[in-house]
Amino acid sequence: MTMLEEFAAELIGMFVGEKRMTISVLAIVAATGSLVDFFGLDPLVGGAVLLFGCLILLVESVCRSSRAGAS
Amino acid sequence: MLTWSTVAPAVTAAFLASLVEVVEAFTIVLAVATLRGWRPAAVGTAAGLAVLAGIVVLLGPLLDRIPIASLQLAIGILLLLFGMGWLRKASLRAAGVIPLHDEDAIFTAEADQLSEQARQQQRNLGWAAGITALKAVVLEGLEVVFIVIAVGAGRGLLVPASLGALAACALVLAIGAVVHRPLSRVPENILKFGVGVMLSAFGVFWTGEGLGIGWPGQDLALLLFAALFLGAGLIGSVFARKLAAEFA
Repeated sequence: MTMLEEFAAELIGMFVGEKRMTISVLAIVAATGSLVDFFGLDPLVGGAVLLFGCLILLVESVCRSSRAGAS
Repeated sequence: MLTWSTVAPAVTAAFLASLVEVVEAFTIVLAVATLRGWRPAAVGTAAGLAVLAGIVVLLGPLLDRIPIASLQLAIGILLLLFGMGWLRKASLRAAGVIPLHDEDAIFTAEADQLSEQARQQQRNLGWAAGITALKAVVLEGLEVVFIVIAVGAGRGLLVPASLGALAACALVLAIGAVVHRPLSRVPENILKFGVGVMLSAFGVFWTGEGLGIGWPGQDLALLLFAALFLGAGLIGSVFARKLAAEFA
């Protein structure tokens, strides 16, 4: 692996540690944006969706990794 | 005007995150210096710092050209991914599901690799050692650069955040110069847990602002977010410990 490839892998690895959690975070952000922008949801309620979505996702991801023997 | 509630979280996050990364880079640079001498270690480190400075100089001005809402959203999402990734791993380490980061083991592995290189090729050893130091500094430094930009950009906090990172570098170098061995007694997982909490809190805050959400209490909302992420990380860790025992 060349040094540039290693740097690129490090950069990607910084943000894509666990694929399922990465996709879920992006889905929560997209859902929050859609609810606020397209469905007229109160921005504060949208904020709560974002915040509590991420908190629940974190606990779920830790538990799932633990059941799977971790990664 | 900058207030403590604005500056303190950014400086603290930059300082603690940098502390973790600099300790990791220092371990490898120390292995290089121990086996191949201080010259290749110093040259590799200086070259690595120059690469990082070049990245900051190239990317820094580009940030000013991005609309603030888009910048907040992009950085917020990246911070969420980065911070929650750290917090997830720190929770799993705290639960004993994955092993703790071991600086002594990393030092030994790096020293073994350099010794192996020495056996295989007697020429250009200084060059190989310098490259090893450069890679360590750049790879760990990339995370520091990202964190400084992420917590500092958008609110004129790049300088305070950079000072936080520099303070961490100075502290590690000062301690390293005295003890001359890997800093294995740094409570790395506690630091990573704390940094993961802060970066996740920043991530929700910036992502929300980028989506047009005005948080009540403005910057003080960060403290609430941090408390909630801390609680979630601890709860996750407790559950993980129980589940690991059940499934063992």
